[in-house]
Amino acid sequence: MLILQQLINGLMLGGLYVMVAVAFTLIIGMLNFLNFTIPALFMVAAMMMWATMTGNLPFGNETLLGVFGEANLWVAGVLIAIIVVSLASLVIERFTYRYMKAKYGDATEHALPLVSSLGFLIAFEHTVISAWGSDPLTVVSPFGDATFEIGSLLFSYPQVISLVLSLGIVFTLNYIIRRTKLGRALRSIAERPETATLMGVDVLRIVPIVYVITGLLCAISGVLFTINYTTVDAYIGDTVATVAIAGMVLGGLGNVWGAVIGGLMVGIIEVFSIYIVGADFVKVPIWGLLLIILIFKPTGLFGHSAIGKGKF
Amino acid sequence: MSGYLESQLIILCLSIIYAYGIFLPAASGQLNLGAAGFITLGAYASGWFNLSDGLGVSMPLSVVMAMLFTGAISFAIAFPILRTRGVYMVLATFAFAEVVSGLTINMEFLGAAAGMPVDDHAAVEIVVIAAIGVTLFSFYFMSTRLGLALRSIHDDESVSVLFGVNVRLAKVAAFTVGGMLMGLGGAMYGHHYNYIEAQAFNVLLSIYILLYVLLGGTQTAWGPLVGAIFFTVVPELIRNLAIEIGSDWLADSRFIFFGAFIVLMMVIRPEGVVTRTMQDRVASALAGRRKDTGETE
Amino acid sequence: MSDNVLNITGIQKNFGGLKVIDDVSMDVRRGSRTALIGPNGAGKTTVFNLLTGVYPIDQGSIVLDGMEISQIPSQDRVIHGMSRSFQNIRLMPHLSTIENVMLGQHARARSLGNLMFPLGMLSKNKWRQEAEDALHNAGIGSYPGEVVANLPYGVQKRIEVVRALVSRPKLLLLDEPAAGLNEVETRQLQELLEQVSQSGVTILVVEHDMHFVRNLCDHVVVLNFGQKIFEGTPEEVHQNPAVLEAYLGREDSQPAKETSDAS
Repeated sequence: MLILQQLINGLMLGGLYVMVAVAFTLIIGMLNFLNFTIPALFMVAAMMMWATMTGNLPFGNETLLGVFGEANLWVAGVLIAIIVVSLASLVIERFTYRYMKAKYGDATEHALPLVSSLGFLIAFEHTVISAWGSDPLTVVSPFGDATFEIGSLLFSYPQVISLVLSLGIVFTLNYIIRRTKLGRALRSIAERPETATLMGVDVLRIVPIVYVITGLLCAISGVLFTINYTTVDAYIGDTVATVAIAGMVLGGLGNVWGAVIGGLMVGIIEVFSIYIVGADFVKVPIWGLLLIILIFKPTGLFGHSAIGKGKF
Repeated sequence: MSGYLESQLIILCLSIIYAYGIFLPAASGQLNLGAAGFITLGAYASGWFNLSDGLGVSMPLSVVMAMLFTGAISFAIAFPILRTRGVYMVLATFAFAEVVSGLTINMEFLGAAAGMPVDDHAAVEIVVIAAIGVTLFSFYFMSTRLGLALRSIHDDESVSVLFGVNVRLAKVAAFTVGGMLMGLGGAMYGHHYNYIEAQAFNVLLSIYILLYVLLGGTQTAWGPLVGAIFFTVVPELIRNLAIEIGSDWLADSRFIFFGAFIVLMMVIRPEGVVTRTMQDRVASALAGRRKDTGETE
Repeated sequence: MSDNVLNITGIQKNFGGLKVIDDVSMDVRRGSRTALIGPNGAGKTTVFNLLTGVYPIDQGSIVLDGMEISQIPSQDRVIHGMSRSFQNIRLMPHLSTIENVMLGQHARARSLGNLMFPLGMLSKNKWRQEAEDALHNAGIGSYPGEVVANLPYGVQKRIEVVRALVSRPKLLLLDEPAAGLNEVETRQLQELLEQVSQSGVTILVVEHDMHFVRNLCDHVVVLNFGQKIFEGTPEEVHQNPAVLEAYLGREDSQPAKETSDAS
């Protein structure tokens, strides 16, 4: 029974990883770039949520309280997180894609946007540290401790909702990719960027949309993290969100479904690892697993055919 | 030398050593985002070899052994990791560093979470000499035919193969020697501070070192030197300036500027500060040579 | 057998379902200057790629100076005496002229001592000297202080030839070396190649410039749709009906001898 409970906990954590893993996999599949701003945006969203709910924003705390009321302040938090992250995503798009001069056919060409994204990561982390320091910060969950039981298994409402929400968002996203005009445009950019324009795709309008979508995924995940785990700090991008990379690789680069399964699996592996070998040691099974996959089966469990096939 | 200047010099020298360790594979296009892993191995290895409760060997010997140890591990993982390419390799080296971090924090004989004290002390002169030695070695290494092969691989791997370059071995050599240099850096860290904190070498360190190297420029051996100097000295200068003018905000924000600077550089001058053309033109200007315009008649 | 520096027998290459090279055989006489011509898409560069090992052949054999090389990996073929230049310039953009040429020496300098010798630091070493002399013989300077990416097109093309030459090949494969060169440069290239040929190196050149071919070469092999359709002297080739048809190309025509079932 304890095992089953751990499995449940793993799925809950995995639910958060799913959205971040999908964000990573979308950008890598479409633009062939490992976007290290994703952990930063996750952290920023989580911090925005905390700041709104604890009145730590640099403006308008009374206004927000007036409009939303104490009980619904979390709604303001969600909105602010979404707005901030979306704006940030548009800026990031310009400096990791639009303004880039891709004239190098040599071995480090792929690294330029990656390096840029590391620059953003450092800038965002230090902006947050400047504003609120680097120590852990807590918030009271807006939903209290609402739990329910099935048999002897404990579920927490916010976590279950998070999981359902995660999966729902990804299902919708997948539907968009598979069946809508926008999705077709995304896939054509991913598979043949040079000819996408010839086929009538307005690349310069679509790419920012992708960045905003991935930003939103990070934002929702970050907000849910704050609600569920109630303690945040400037480094949770490094410590939490980067683990989702393992989920992405496990599922196969560019594969949205793979990222879902991969994200859930990584959550489960992490919880079980903590249970078996302790929290200090958890890095080894997760990153060791990633290392082994990269060396022996880099295409992951499911290959990478959803977006940008044949690129890797 | 004042205590403050000396501590800054140590940080600079260590950064230079780490940077060259990342530079050697980067010169052939292999991006290593796991510097922290190799540095950790060198630090703990030399510390333990030297410790009277460990192996108890003298410091010079423990440092050499630590370099060989780190080199051996670099060599062993080079083959599988170098089978990965591009973004996969970045992730693989990142994962490697996390695994090393996770393992060392749990090893009791290395002090686990309490960290490990280190017996023998390496005075500042030794660290400086190590940094100078590493710099000179790297210039030498890149000037050899192996260095030429690495730079060819960076520009065009398939053509390099066609002219007989054993690309596999060249990359492994660069990766291994780079690992050894980082091991040396770690050993110097441990012996100078005489203490290795549990998570002294983390993800941010790996990121910073890779950034120094890429921003300094990977085309010549001047790049990592310029990168390390620029990025350890400038933030300090800003901090001192901020203290002078009494601006807390400026002091706290220096890393924000660092991040923004990186973003701008990637758009404006992605090849880094020091390029091959720049090096040649500076050298020519210093030698007072006229440019040779070409054809004989 | 020792009369020929290269024997290609029945080589075949498929990409996907497409027969790109279909049963091509030819012998290249030692010391000769042979041109490999054919319309675009005939497979000329593919033949070069097969010879140098960029792709493995699906069938057939390649014998270089008496040795079967089709199973030898690409990086080891140059040491057996074959090197090449490229249709689109493939010099290393971040390396200097001298360094680009020195890459051509790599196969001869693979011993540990040579690998670790500080070429860049000691400016008067034999490898560097050899590279400079080779450039000088080709009528090109060494452009100190410049990376090759900044040099004129015609100069870069000739540097590529020099790079291939310093590997001391028995057989020199040149892929459109005259393309993009003006008259003066073309003449200089021709003189260089005549010099090279006189020193005993066999030359196999892919070219479109028939004037250049007629001046330089004594033998011509014609490909079309991956098959050899004719070989002979430049004069014979000029008059052969199958060759003319291949180039002038009537939509409904099939070459008289064979069907091309390339699809």
